[in-house]
Amino acid sequence: MFYRQSGVHHTRYQTARRLWPLPADQRLVWLLLALAVAAPLYMSDLYLSSYMLPWLIWSAAALSLTLLMGVAGQLHFGFAAVMAIGAYTSIHLTRAGVPFELALIGAGLMSAAIGCIFGAAALRVKGLYLVMATLAMQYLVDWTIINVPAISGGAQATLSTPDVRFLFVPLKGDAMLYYGALLWAVIVTLLVLNIKRTSFGRALVAVRDKDFAASVIGVNPFKFKLLAFFTSSFLGGVSGAVLAFCYYQAVTPEQFGFNVSIQLVAMVLVGGLGSVVGAYLGAGFVLLVPIILTNLVAGAAVAGWISVSSNLLAHIPLMVYGALIIGFILFEPLGLAKIYDNLRKYFLVWPFRHTQS
Amino acid sequence: MKGFMKGLVGAATMAAVGFSGTASADDNAIKFGLLQDFTAVYTFVTDEYNQGQRDYLRLINEEGGIHDHTFEAIVRDTGNEPQRGIEAYNRARREGAVLVDFLSTPVSRAAVNRVLEDEVVMITVLHGRGDASEGQTFPFVFPMMATYWSQAAVLLDYIDRERGGLEGKRIAHVYIDSPFGREPVPVMREIAERNNFEVRTFAYPSPGNEQSATWSDVRRFRPDFVVLWGAGGGQAVSVREAIRNGIPQENILSVVWMAETDARTIGTEMATGIKRFEAVATGTDYPVMQRLMEKVIEPGHGAGSSDNVGTTYYNIGVASMAVAVEGARIALEEFGPPLTGDKLRQGMEMIEGFDLDGMMPPITLTPEDHQGGGYGRVSTWNGETWEPVTDWFTAYQDVVWEEIEKDAAGFREGR
Repeated sequence: MFYRQSGVHHTRYQTARRLWPLPADQRLVWLLLALAVAAPLYMSDLYLSSYMLPWLIWSAAALSLTLLMGVAGQLHFGFAAVMAIGAYTSIHLTRAGVPFELALIGAGLMSAAIGCIFGAAALRVKGLYLVMATLAMQYLVDWTIINVPAISGGAQATLSTPDVRFLFVPLKGDAMLYYGALLWAVIVTLLVLNIKRTSFGRALVAVRDKDFAASVIGVNPFKFKLLAFFTSSFLGGVSGAVLAFCYYQAVTPEQFGFNVSIQLVAMVLVGGLGSVVGAYLGAGFVLLVPIILTNLVAGAAVAGWISVSSNLLAHIPLMVYGALIIGFILFEPLGLAKIYDNLRKYFLVWPFRHTQS
Repeated sequence: MKGFMKGLVGAATMAAVGFSGTASADDNAIKFGLLQDFTAVYTFVTDEYNQGQRDYLRLINEEGGIHDHTFEAIVRDTGNEPQRGIEAYNRARREGAVLVDFLSTPVSRAAVNRVLEDEVVMITVLHGRGDASEGQTFPFVFPMMATYWSQAAVLLDYIDRERGGLEGKRIAHVYIDSPFGREPVPVMREIAERNNFEVRTFAYPSPGNEQSATWSDVRRFRPDFVVLWGAGGGQAVSVREAIRNGIPQENILSVVWMAETDARTIGTEMATGIKRFEAVATGTDYPVMQRLMEKVIEPGHGAGSSDNVGTTYYNIGVASMAVAVEGARIALEEFGPPLTGDKLRQGMEMIEGFDLDGMMPPITLTPEDHQGGGYGRVSTWNGETWEPVTDWFTAYQDVVWEEIEKDAAGFREGR
């Protein structure tokens, strides 16, 4: 009814292969895009700069990671380090007078290069062993940043981002920063969506499902594992640079610590491995739910609904958050994206009950 | 499916309540945003510190406020995450906060540019950027107590004056491997050059639960004194390791983050004799603490357990709010209501010789100096409590200010 399939006839391969073949999906995507573009008009600066902006950037980062973890099946527990490399590279490049657009590409290339070196471990090891290798990357990069003042920026270990222009527009003010992040999120989204339906994407999936089987059918696991690390690290590096320039505006080593890596993995897992919608939902969940819960509980305490010690009060959101994660995983182990998918399938045949898949 | 829809509606309702935020109680209240880390890294200090802050604000309110203004604390947990801190900051600013205190170096660092732009006062008591003491570059940031550089200077000067001089000594700087741990090193090296002694640095990995490898290096160095630069759980481990490696308690000195809890963790007997830098006096034997006991704690208005009253971090919290309230008082007298961030800044810059009746060193803030002089003293654990062994003093401020100027210049140039 809502997602009506009747009357949708594909007479050319092109239309059948579109990203969103159903008109309902197309309308939804356009609506969301319009809402996102118009956000500065109807959202207060608080929600624009503290909710939408970080959500978009972290979604882009989660998308980069889901390409590696979900599509190519290579676990990465040091993705914050990849973003750190991007952030620091872009800042040092812009400082040196390189235009911001080139600095972004430079940030991506640097992250991709270093990411590939550690990704090379993936050629030998799989699963938990790869987790260890990427964890090593996290700690090595952290250590290097902290211990090399030339990178971290001296005793204060803080680097402010210089004022930059992106395509002749100064990157300044809530709206411009937001549009910068939105543009990057849209680019990564389209890229990942398209990768999933190209031969490259299918090769990654083949490697994910069984690398020696992939090898048998002529997909070179060596090449595609490295390519997966390269692409994902490139996107992660640029996301890190966008995070630095559009959101933090001052970069410190703590912003890319181990806990951020875990958060990114959580975003990908809670959202749904390999899913584009899932990256958005997961990033929103991991990033925003703790904030909303904190405000909720603090609001309830101010209103006098709960009277407990401030220590316990601060931990209630954490308990609820933990319970929510367990709840969602129990309810749908495949993540938030699967919940959305179930919902969509339900409406696909509504008012009838049964879906085909 | 039905259950799912129900859940969805429930989640949406919760989100709506969450987004609607909280209504403020009193419009004439001066709002301070105490947006701190109650759940992650700074938990060793935040509870007591925040309790002291809120109890002091309560005391001022109980005593009728200042010039018809009461104080309201906006308390939020940031979990030490910059993005949550920024959200909490933006929200508090919208609710009208004129002052924020994050008590978290990563969050404060991320907020520096924002508070400078929004003209909101940010106090960075014993955390944050040390170079923010340079008031011309950081007009809205107030470290207001001794920076880590000043703390190192005070500790070294104490050795120089009371422990047989620095000349020819070997001093081990044992620190948590982070920018915080490394921060005092340039100042210590400079002082070492002047006084002709040796400083060697030894890092242990964060969070500091395991330091034995580091301490066997320290042992080989055979230091005369050990300066500990850590915080939280790692501190007690450091002291235990130092003692195990044959360093007498009297020769162990610590940065400000060493409190009653740490002494108890080490063992009250075993900890006897260790020294620490002290920014604010401990205990309740001060007029302001007596007022607090009488008007807030005894009537049961305290923000937390009364056992915490008078502890190291509680008193630092009280002192931090006392300075802020004093700044607000001057600002209201000089410029009249309503109190804005800019007026509060100017008020705080007029604070002169404020010592909270002897509970803290006399603090003088000026438009140039937001550190307040860099005073402190050294105290020792006597088995039951921290007991001062020196008077309030300040040392090597020329070296400290060289460092402050250097980093502040870096910030101005956009580094």
